[in-house]
Amino acid sequence: MSAPHLDRWRPVATGVGRALVPVLLAFVVGGVVLAVTGQNPLEIYRLLLVEAFGGPSRVDATLAATTPLLFTAVAAAFAYRAGVFTIGAEGSFTLGGLAAAVVGAHVGGLPAVAAVTVSLLAACAAGVLVAVVPAVLRARWQVDEVVTTLMFNFIVAGVAGWAVQAFFQERGQANSATAYVADSARLEPFFPPDLTNAGLVIALLLVTGYTFWFRRTALGFEFRAVGATPRFAVAQGLRTRTVVVVALLGAGLAAGLGGGAHALGIVHRYTGGFSASFGFTGIAIALLARFNPVGMVVGAVLFGALNAAGSTIQLFVNLPIQLVDILQGTVMIFAVVQFVLPRLPSRQRAVPEAVVA
Amino acid sequence: MIDQVIAAALTLSVPLVLAALGGAVHRQAGVVNIGLEGQMLVGALLGALVSGATRSWELGVLAGAGAGGAVGWLMSVTITRLRANEIIAGLGFNTVVLGVIGYWLRASQDVSGTLQVEGLERLPTWVVPGVADVPVLGALVSGKSPLFWLAVVLVGACAWTLDGTRWGLRVRAVGASPVASASLGLRTRGLQDSAGTVAGVLAGLGGASLSLGAVGLFNENMTAGRGFVAMAAFYFGRARPLPTALACLLFGTFDAIQARLQIGGGYSASLIQTLPYVAVVVVLALTGVRSSRRRARAAA
Repeated sequence: MSAPHLDRWRPVATGVGRALVPVLLAFVVGGVVLAVTGQNPLEIYRLLLVEAFGGPSRVDATLAATTPLLFTAVAAAFAYRAGVFTIGAEGSFTLGGLAAAVVGAHVGGLPAVAAVTVSLLAACAAGVLVAVVPAVLRARWQVDEVVTTLMFNFIVAGVAGWAVQAFFQERGQANSATAYVADSARLEPFFPPDLTNAGLVIALLLVTGYTFWFRRTALGFEFRAVGATPRFAVAQGLRTRTVVVVALLGAGLAAGLGGGAHALGIVHRYTGGFSASFGFTGIAIALLARFNPVGMVVGAVLFGALNAAGSTIQLFVNLPIQLVDILQGTVMIFAVVQFVLPRLPSRQRAVPEAVVA
Repeated sequence: MIDQVIAAALTLSVPLVLAALGGAVHRQAGVVNIGLEGQMLVGALLGALVSGATRSWELGVLAGAGAGGAVGWLMSVTITRLRANEIIAGLGFNTVVLGVIGYWLRASQDVSGTLQVEGLERLPTWVVPGVADVPVLGALVSGKSPLFWLAVVLVGACAWTLDGTRWGLRVRAVGASPVASASLGLRTRGLQDSAGTVAGVLAGLGGASLSLGAVGLFNENMTAGRGFVAMAAFYFGRARPLPTALACLLFGTFDAIQARLQIGGGYSASLIQTLPYVAVVVVLALTGVRSSRRRARAAA
């Protein structure tokens, strides 16, 4: 008779360990880079911590930087749980942002709730649109979604750049940018002049919805079954095609909504370089948390803190912000590395197979 | 005018062909290499630095190839021995490389983005006497850099290596079925690592052709997505060297034409730049439809 309560906690412990090891390793790698360039790593990391959480305005900046990452992390996790490996969140986020910015600029006559709703719906539609072709290709003809979604990121970037220049360019702007959204379409900050806004609430609702979807709905169960053992799921008569399509379109919707919230809440318009790799960072967070909702919130706050602190710390220490890239990239790499000679669970085997095919 | 477009298209294709050939070899070994972009950038930086330090473009090219190969090997080991997902590892390596280079430029060189390397020796251009002034032919073969000719030779060399050598055969066997290859006693991970290193070396050469080319400086944005266009090319060419190189030539020609059209105005550069990526989706869709038809026929 082993103690059942210990068994219950074991997955939690391994989950925490799996998430902590990559982060610690990233800080070691970053520390080496800092030391080589003559900085004291411990001192820099202490400053990063202070800049991320030391005081209300810093926490506010961190939460604002966390918000877009929550959307893209949910987008990635939603698809990956079904065994569908999309990297198109970046494209959906970008087009969602452009759609919300364009619609938001034209809904000044509507009351605030309606203006925001219409703009965000446009963002969702745009995000879904980006995912349609890869979804159809994958569901109908088994075309590898990894490469098609990656390609669509570049296609969307080009099309968005062209659309802004050709149709939505605000006059008198040197770089390509749309007009500012109407006041009523803005997601106002909770405590002006702070940054954190209703977008964070929407993001947390999305995380809750994601959790509910997998724990409580029938299609959510089919998702997990298809993701865990694709061939067994087919044999059981589960609707794998439906799952694949919903997974890709749902991921596009979540990322598009994130782009919309970012446009209405932070930037208030669409400009070139709208997404600072939020889509890719979201993938790293989802993998780091192994798709666990609480883990994703923690991961998003961690990366948000890095972004927020990194951009201010360079003002008073001579510290290039590229340190954040080094840390994030290292976390990405080590999040998918398996150190212990693994007994591969079938769920993890399903992902590389889909990739290699 | 046509001569200028031809010459520009060929020059713009060189870094693409080099990197894409590497990606094709790696793909034949069963790995989709998303890290070409980072490996090119490392090659460009080390190529410029060593060329400046030694005042020799040959050593610069070698250093670029070596640096690219080192990063390629490291990425491959992460994928094969540590079983990292190849897509995430590739994206992660690109991010880290870009971060380390950008950090180093600002922290140690105190420059943002562009590094002028003192004493850098650029690639020479070889003028072919007799045909240099002949229309079209002159643009095709004269005034090219050594790396251009290396790329031409490598297209054939890669095809021959994959088709005719023991290593090439084994690499393709691993790519076709790692499990079956392992059961025949092949060192599958070692073969994949060697293919990944080759990919890094070639991408590094492609990077060196950028930084040691016409302008002769290093910029942290100088690869500008060429690693991903190279990826598009080897998908387009289904990882066979000659079709892959022809795809690169096509994309290089797009690039050259677009540069001219931009001066004339009216055509959007950002739309034209999406063409390689659209081409990949179309190719993947067509091959997907065809192979699913074949499956359906086999099942019937």
